[in-house]
Amino acid sequence: MARTQALMIRIATGDSRSIGKQIVDGIRMKIATGELAPGDQLPSVRGLAQQLTINPNTVAKAYTELTTEGWLDSRQGLGLYVAPLRQRLSDAERERRFDDAVQRFVHDVVPLNVTVDEVQTRMAAEFDALTPRKTA
Amino acid sequence: MSTHDDHVIETHGLSRRYGRKLALDHLDLRIPRGRIHAIVGANGAGKSTLFRILLGFLAPSAGRARILGRDSQQLTPEDRGRIGFVNEEHTLPGWMRVSAIARMHHREYARWNQRAYEEVIGHYHVLPEQKVGQLSRGERAGFNLALALARSPELLILDEPTLGLDVVAKRAFLESLLYSNAADDCTVIYCSHQMEEIERVADNLIILERGRLMHMSAPEEFCSRVTHWVADIPFKGPEPSTVPGLLERQRLDGLHHYLVLDQDEGFAEFLRGVGARSIQSMPVGLDRAVNAFLAKNHAAPAAAA
Repeated sequence: MARTQALMIRIATGDSRSIGKQIVDGIRMKIATGELAPGDQLPSVRGLAQQLTINPNTVAKAYTELTTEGWLDSRQGLGLYVAPLRQRLSDAERERRFDDAVQRFVHDVVPLNVTVDEVQTRMAAEFDALTPRKTA
Repeated sequence: MSTHDDHVIETHGLSRRYGRKLALDHLDLRIPRGRIHAIVGANGAGKSTLFRILLGFLAPSAGRARILGRDSQQLTPEDRGRIGFVNEEHTLPGWMRVSAIARMHHREYARWNQRAYEEVIGHYHVLPEQKVGQLSRGERAGFNLALALARSPELLILDEPTLGLDVVAKRAFLESLLYSNAADDCTVIYCSHQMEEIERVADNLIILERGRLMHMSAPEEFCSRVTHWVADIPFKGPEPSTVPGLLERQRLDGLHHYLVLDQDEGFAEFLRGVGARSIQSMPVGLDRAVNAFLAKNHAAPAAAA
């Protein structure tokens, strides 16, 4: 039986992202990078709340959002687990988010006067670094 | 059960006048049962007056206040037993021993929960034989919280409970509030000026100003009402009174910074209309949003011409 995976995320107060949003983003990133693998068990609501010194309701809401989006599976009475990999968003939603992210990125990068080649090389390197590592 | 039971606190047109000054100004406030509600407001927003009326220590000048479904002016000792109150002064007789006070509360309150008391006091290095006067500020805060939670209150009002506590004591206080089983079935009203704490604990944010309710929602919803715009506008920029939703403005290194309330992309149009060359916007954190909101109407001396 899988043991609870340590969840090494940090949250910051004073950030423009709410604490709940920071948790959702943090866990999604860990799943996307393979640091959390399908089948890994998440900390309990109370456990993660205590680890971060925040209200348990905030953790519960973040977990609900991740479950609704298909990143986590809840097993009755056992807790939450990272869901098997699959297409997690509808095509339209995926398209919309991709569009948003690209727009934000372009806004940020254009003022830096970098060339398209530089952007592509750098992006490729970043994606390479994120490829899930196979661990025993 | 009466219908009032859906709300732990319910005020209708509640006013309290001190001489020429209105500390509470026709306040209509309904706080639902359950969860942690943070009340923020500048000094003088009426928080202390509100609590004094709710606890029956002060009569309203007009309007009505109900707490746990009861008229706050007619609370019985049993009603009071359902309400816990901890304020920043943490006043207990300094000459009494911790064990004696705990025993006294145990006898006095029918719903006393010894396990809850021990669970909370366990967060602090408080010995039963110590006198209250020998406890540090943080230990006294913890002792007060332990006493309040052990009475198994339905409603716990905390008025600036962590004021003057160091970071370690603050953390112990928050942990014993957030994770004690004793607090599970309790509605908490948390009054604080410390946004960092509010971000960590609050399910619901209530903003009072000059005795009136200005806002009530989840904290992140309030944040999303405030945006920060930076525009490069030649010369002086627009007259502040013409800027829609303006909370705060600053001119830094020749750029105009605006914190505004309830503005969408239309605000960019406004800035373009007054000659802005470049325009950027970003969201702000809770601390910044609340401070700008409260600072807007803060009294300031009449500006020099």
